[in-house]
Amino acid sequence: MSKQLGFLHNSEKCVGCRGCEIACKNEYQIEATPQWRKVFQLHEDDFSLPTRMFFSMACNHCAHPECLRVCPVKAYTKREDGIVIHDPNRCIGCRLCTMACPYDRPQINPAKKKVEKCNLCYQRIDQGEKPACVTACIPGALELVEINDSLDQKTGILKTLPGLPSPKITSPSIRFIGPKQGKQIRRD
Amino acid sequence: MGDWEWPLILFTVLGQIAIGIILMLWWLARNRNLNIQLFKRGVHVSGGLLLIALLASLFHLGHPEAAYRALAHLGSSWLSREILFFLLTFLAWIYLFRLSRQQTSSHTLGSGASIITTAETAAGGQPTSNLSLGLGITSLLGLLGIASSAMIYVLPRVPAWNNGGPVLFFLLTTGLLGALCTLVLGGNLLQTAQKKLLLQVSLGCTIFSLILSVIYGSMLSASMEGAASLNYHLSSPLFWVRALVSWLAPLLLLVIILKSPDLGKKNLILTVTLLVGLGEILGRALFYLSATGIQITALF
Repeated sequence: MSKQLGFLHNSEKCVGCRGCEIACKNEYQIEATPQWRKVFQLHEDDFSLPTRMFFSMACNHCAHPECLRVCPVKAYTKREDGIVIHDPNRCIGCRLCTMACPYDRPQINPAKKKVEKCNLCYQRIDQGEKPACVTACIPGALELVEINDSLDQKTGILKTLPGLPSPKITSPSIRFIGPKQGKQIRRD
Repeated sequence: MGDWEWPLILFTVLGQIAIGIILMLWWLARNRNLNIQLFKRGVHVSGGLLLIALLASLFHLGHPEAAYRALAHLGSSWLSREILFFLLTFLAWIYLFRLSRQQTSSHTLGSGASIITTAETAAGGQPTSNLSLGLGITSLLGLLGIASSAMIYVLPRVPAWNNGGPVLFFLLTTGLLGALCTLVLGGNLLQTAQKKLLLQVSLGCTIFSLILSVIYGSMLSASMEGAASLNYHLSSPLFWVRALVSWLAPLLLLVIILKSPDLGKKNLILTVTLLVGLGEILGRALFYLSATGIQITALF
């Protein structure tokens, strides 16, 4: 694999508008139940000062994807650019990948009885475009980046956030810019 | 937490009983004194159970009609390997079924009033080695299938499963229910020494299962998700029913049976088998229900 594409999420910029979720649903006309992308709110208690911060997560196109390892029908493939693609035509709905993914991102579509997940808009990327969620993010909190050592060595780049599973399990291809906490003055 | 996975509960428990019976027949056949009627009965019952188990497993899939594709990823998927080994077990069972259908000669062992034809003369005079080999290969393939079934659940995401527990528990169910069902199927066809051996295997598996469950439970508290699984077990009435019917009652009854001079009445053995069968089904249901995976704990 020559490179690994992934997401960079800036929690300082994210306002939790869920525009990325809707853009994803709109692009692929996904039914209500499976949520390929989802916005989460961080627990206030995880920080030294009360704060309202969000992060947005879809499939993390992990370097070591558990979904790909456990799938009995080879419905998952990893491209040269690191994108993990799920082929619904091969899926038989055994749901093993949904049990194996610590991020709960492959999800069963109850109507189709098959698993679905984000394929990082590979068809858009192949045409030089950005993924639908990245394009739709108004505050620019979500970016498509190449995950490599030079990115990880930059100041402020985090591999995980409080409330997320350990990245050691699957080496997810997502990086974060954590929330910055300013001085807060509260009236009692 | 997980769901009531009825297709998987039936597939794993029935499949393990079927392979357990074959394994016990193989064990009994090692001294060339396996009763041919018991061999036939065991092969027919295990085949029926194996077939029901395989059919039940299809209902777990969203698209059962495409189940054949599950063999496509033998390189890394334990589910693919499980299906392969179970299909091979079924093919090996067909060979056993053919042996059981062939006529037997009148070679007898004159113990008691009933005429007992030994396995030595099974399959129209074919040597015992064929039968023993067939049982051995079927058992081995079946055990590989059961180990593969258990390995499916060894997932880094689920700390309660990410250890040797699933493999040991699945193999213990095979030994325990295999021995008890062979005792029920054998009845008077079994010699006293064989009965005693099967009862001892049952008792050993029950004791080992109880000790292993205590150790396993104490290890679960090491992680937050494991502790959640343990709490689910301890707070569920199903777990206490399981503890009663598949550990305490069988321990008591098996000791009573082993101490009785005629190794117990048939009804008592049947009672133990039914209790343990119920307990193992409840145990398997709890296995799926209590599964707690590492997940995103942020707010939605």
